[in-house]
Amino acid sequence: MDRLAEKYFRPEKYPGTACRGCGLRLAHRKVLEAADELGLETEDVVWGTGIGCSGRQTFATWKGDTFAGTHGQVYCLATGLRLALPPEKRIIITAGDGDAFTIGFNHLLNAARRNVDMTVIICDNLGYQSTGGQYGLTTPGGARTDSSPYGMWEPNWTEDGFDVLRILKEAGATFLARHTVLDGQAPVESIQKALLNRGFSLVQLVYPCVTHFGVHSLGTRNLAEVYDWFRKRYGAGADGLATGIIHDASGSRPEFGARLRSYTERAGKGDAA
Amino acid sequence: MKRTFDTGNAAITEAAIWAGCRLFAGYPITPATEIAENMSRLLPQVGGYYLQAEDETASFHICNGAAMGGMKAMTATSGPGFILYADPFGWAVSSEIPVVVVNSQRVGPVSGITGAPGQGEFYLSRYLTHGGNYETIVLAPASVQEAYRLTVRAFYLAERFRTPVTVLADQMVTDGWETLLLPETAEDERELGLERVERAVHPGPDFYPSTDAIDIPPVVLGHNTGGACSDWTPTERGHDTEEVEWQHRHAWRLIHKIRSNRALIDEAEEWFVDDAEMILVSYGTPSRVVKSAVLAARERGLKVGGIRLVSLWPFQDHLFTRTAAYLTVELNWDGQLVREVQRAAPDGSRTHFFGKCGELPSVAELLETVGKILRNEPLARSGWEREAW
Ligand code: SF4
Repeated sequence: MDRLAEKYFRPEKYPGTACRGCGLRLAHRKVLEAADELGLETEDVVWGTGIGCSGRQTFATWKGDTFAGTHGQVYCLATGLRLALPPEKRIIITAGDGDAFTIGFNHLLNAARRNVDMTVIICDNLGYQSTGGQYGLTTPGGARTDSSPYGMWEPNWTEDGFDVLRILKEAGATFLARHTVLDGQAPVESIQKALLNRGFSLVQLVYPCVTHFGVHSLGTRNLAEVYDWFRKRYGAGADGLATGIIHDASGSRPEFGARLRSYTERAGKGDAA
Repeated sequence: MKRTFDTGNAAITEAAIWAGCRLFAGYPITPATEIAENMSRLLPQVGGYYLQAEDETASFHICNGAAMGGMKAMTATSGPGFILYADPFGWAVSSEIPVVVVNSQRVGPVSGITGAPGQGEFYLSRYLTHGGNYETIVLAPASVQEAYRLTVRAFYLAERFRTPVTVLADQMVTDGWETLLLPETAEDERELGLERVERAVHPGPDFYPSTDAIDIPPVVLGHNTGGACSDWTPTERGHDTEEVEWQHRHAWRLIHKIRSNRALIDEAEEWFVDDAEMILVSYGTPSRVVKSAVLAARERGLKVGGIRLVSLWPFQDHLFTRTAAYLTVELNWDGQLVREVQRAAPDGSRTHFFGKCGELPSVAELLETVGKILRNEPLARSGWEREAW
């Protein structure tokens, strides 16, 4: 077991249950590197997860306290938990693109609006992969999946002028970044900035799913081919997605818990907001 | 003792705060909106948080999150919101996190009539979430004062059983105005039958022992005990597992921690059951009319008794030992409680149903039905509301 895994992972949960060659491990690893570089210990973080591959595969791997929510609901759990935890505790959430950008999108937008102090890492595997590979709202146009056998035809959140992160920015998120897991140190730096922001931060990490996206959409499970396609489409210089820090307004808006605590204090004394 | 005149909604709010509730998250809905409004006014005065969520699912999950962090939390709604609680209610059941849930029943189905009382969620309150493999606790107040006591009790039972507890009220209880006594001293608390349990923190490392024992504290996150809390089937450490053996242990605990300790939960009122030839069964507001009807029948020399259920689930089969003619009186047209009574009543009993919706039955209507059943006359049915079951 390597140093980071030993420091942060429950031994019985390592190396985890993701498929061989899955990019999710790289995404998970980027978060550990960022936490480690910031000097965070297991007691400094409560780690939540959503559904799908990223939810199931990252639940209870963190050695400290950890929780999981049902489909799209983990942002609400985290909002409630935020009020019960001391403000200095970090909440990290690893959730999938379907969990966050589809079924839980209303809750995600409201967490952004409230500027709830949490760091949401979207492990984006370009669709619904744990259910066997159906299209999601980040699946590339034209991609064949189990539920788009003639090609992805729906307008999605990351193409044709749409950018889901722009919506989140409008909703009030104070830190937004997007990377692929193959971007080296850049995602680690963004995650650090996200963790340092006392407010709603989201980092979208796009990663290759070899088992379903690879097989159905690319016609191969061959790791090298899948990763090669991925690099060409999303890597530096490719025009697949805007990457890097998309929006950094860290500290520019009052954080939800702080705001509610101060409201409660004033209201308790009978002062109006 | 402080004596006031107030609504059931006010009583529920005061009770929750007395019981230690410091977070309320909800979504406005008639006739439970006043609970939210009262909470928004009173909680800040005790340092508690009121949150208006984006929908009912979020409301309950915010409560779950706060409770998972060690706070006592409550949410309140009516039928159209209660059905949306299915997902977070299941999360709380399976994660064994205490939360108090209030449902002020109105006329359905779906949006139905907002400002009229109904009793359409009797079964939904038992089977609110999917997947089965659980038992649940539901309490049903019949007055403003009882709404106070049972809300306090809901918090007490939620903590001891580490589970969500439902207060199944109806619009007449929550909107109705009555005298309300509030405790001021320890003696008042005893007199009103109020008990509190503080939240305890489970030290770990095993959070889900394979036992039906109660008074085991829930998982509380933030103390770095390695607490793992999720909707997945847990191992004793809270880790998710696909193994049926663990699922069996989990379900066994969820079911039997409640069934094996039901003496702590069971509560009912009985009137003249010992020699009754006919027994009227009800819960909530209609039981007040039923009680009057039972007394009136006795004055006429009829051997009529009554059972009022205060706790609805687990269902109290043991109250139905007498072979008699049973008549359930419910605020619905389809008959829900009647099915459980029919199942629980001994062989040789007869079971009948009297339904009314949106308004209470009158004593005269009940007496007329009682007389016909006792005389073995066919019931004058209008629609579906009176029938042999
Ligand atoms: S199905 Fe795809 S995304 Fe899920 S673990 Fe396997 S490779 Fe990874």
